[in-house]
Amino acid sequence: MSVKVEVGAGGIPHNRILIYGLVGSLILIYLTYLNTITGTQYFSFFGGLAAVAALLWGTDTIKHLCSYGLGTGVPSAGMIALGSGVIAALVGATTGIFAPIVTIIVAAIIGGVAGIMANHIVRMDIPVMIASLTELAIVGAMTVLGLAAMTAGTFQFLGLISGTIVILGFVVETYEASVIGGSIIAVIFMLGAIAIQHSFNACLGPGEKQDRTLMLAAECGFLSMIPIAIISFAFIAFLPALISLLVSVIGWFYTYMRYIELAKRDAYAWLDAQPILEPEGGA
Amino acid sequence: MTALGGPKQTAGVQPPTGMGLAISIILIIVALALAYFLVQMAGVIALVGIIIGGVLIAFGVHFVPVGGAPAAMGQSPGIATGVAMLAAGAGLAGLFGGAWAAPFGFGVALAGGAIGGGLLMAITCTMVNVIYIFGMGIPAASGKVEKDPITGDTFPEYKSQGTEGHGLPFISWVGGVVGGVLGGLGGTLIYLELVEVYQTQLSAILGATVDQIASVAISLAGIFAVGMFLMNAVLAAYNITGTIEGPHDPKFKRFPRAVIAAAVASAVAGIFAIGLLELVGVF
Repeated sequence: MSVKVEVGAGGIPHNRILIYGLVGSLILIYLTYLNTITGTQYFSFFGGLAAVAALLWGTDTIKHLCSYGLGTGVPSAGMIALGSGVIAALVGATTGIFAPIVTIIVAAIIGGVAGIMANHIVRMDIPVMIASLTELAIVGAMTVLGLAAMTAGTFQFLGLISGTIVILGFVVETYEASVIGGSIIAVIFMLGAIAIQHSFNACLGPGEKQDRTLMLAAECGFLSMIPIAIISFAFIAFLPALISLLVSVIGWFYTYMRYIELAKRDAYAWLDAQPILEPEGGA
Repeated sequence: MTALGGPKQTAGVQPPTGMGLAISIILIIVALALAYFLVQMAGVIALVGIIIGGVLIAFGVHFVPVGGAPAAMGQSPGIATGVAMLAAGAGLAGLFGGAWAAPFGFGVALAGGAIGGGLLMAITCTMVNVIYIFGMGIPAASGKVEKDPITGDTFPEYKSQGTEGHGLPFISWVGGVVGGVLGGLGGTLIYLELVEVYQTQLSAILGATVDQIASVAISLAGIFAVGMFLMNAVLAAYNITGTIEGPHDPKFKRFPRAVIAAAVASAVAGIFAIGLLELVGVF
């Protein structure tokens, strides 16, 4: 029993998306460092945008990898991406200003080893396996680091493990009210995993179009940003968190509308069905 | 629709390549040496624990009866979802059980993890059969063997034509529980090793008591255990390529490949996890 995975041809070449995704997410994550330079928290939302850029790239990589037919379902690729990515992201976060770059290097090592294991030990023998798992680990790591930076306003480890709470009017430093201490990192992990594994899984099949799949990926990314923005109210000041929330909601609404448009464009026919209403007084 | 059933359903097991084996041995030795260099003997013990945990997870995944999309239509035996999802469910349930029992000591925590994972799989397998038998009206019949190795029930007369079997025979039920026990045990072992490393290191670096940093140590160890769990489970899933019925399935014999791959992947991810705090405050 096998189901053939069909993907559409054409669209932007994968290598160009790779460069856009890698450079884009790197620059966007570094923009959150403006928080530290200017002493404010208004630039936190760039972390979420970095995650969206990485997710777009990751979706195209998953499409590339899964067109070979892994036999395990598309979500497994998203799970290994975030599984190796979360380790790389937290190791990278300990290196201060170099965090995003170290994250990419560590993720490439872990992903590369997983790829070599998959091809040479487990014998998947898929030509793009090593490159894809390396890319996916970087995508997962950048997603986690981006969303963590959006929550805490910084990607530095000490900022992620310490927070403040107010008890009876006194501001108390505590490790429990932090992104890692409060296990928000687990929520980030799952939000990233859902975002990365959904879009191609939903769009694959005959008539798959790259722009529609990537639009859904962006939509999933912004959708994951919304809960992160809400969580960030607990860690950063009210106004910066509100800006994050507005950016995520506007981004989600725009990409959702665009996705529905593209879905209607690619559909054979569609019917704007209304809910079935019970007739008054019963039938 | 999830794509199940890869392109390479070749008979027999392709052995790992020589290059792959050489890289595996080198990587494990390098990781152990680094662990000794970074955290001395405690690091080596922790890394060995992590590698054993990873191997247990990858081995345990092979016991779990995974049916995938065909099972949802009653056309192949097993639980109707992918390997990575099932393994994650069982392993994480075990991990939570083990993490909860961690204060009661090493042995109790390991037992708690194993029972947690096994219990989740026992409930899942039982309810799957309840739905198959009373909901869909199909008997349990394996397509891979003539007789159940435990109960001695025969299958061919119950197997519908055109299917690979259906339902969840007793041997698959037992396999599921064993898989859950091994997965929960492995996940808990990784967690316990990491939490010990972090509790000593964090309190030294931050100059805080173990109680103050407990939440950070637990959260870090938990998320890393989840990440490594998913990496190992997906590598094992790639080894299975699609569906497996349990320990009686011919595909079960492939497990040595997944065990090697998981050992190396755990060693590489583990060394980053153990060395996580070495760079804090350097930059």
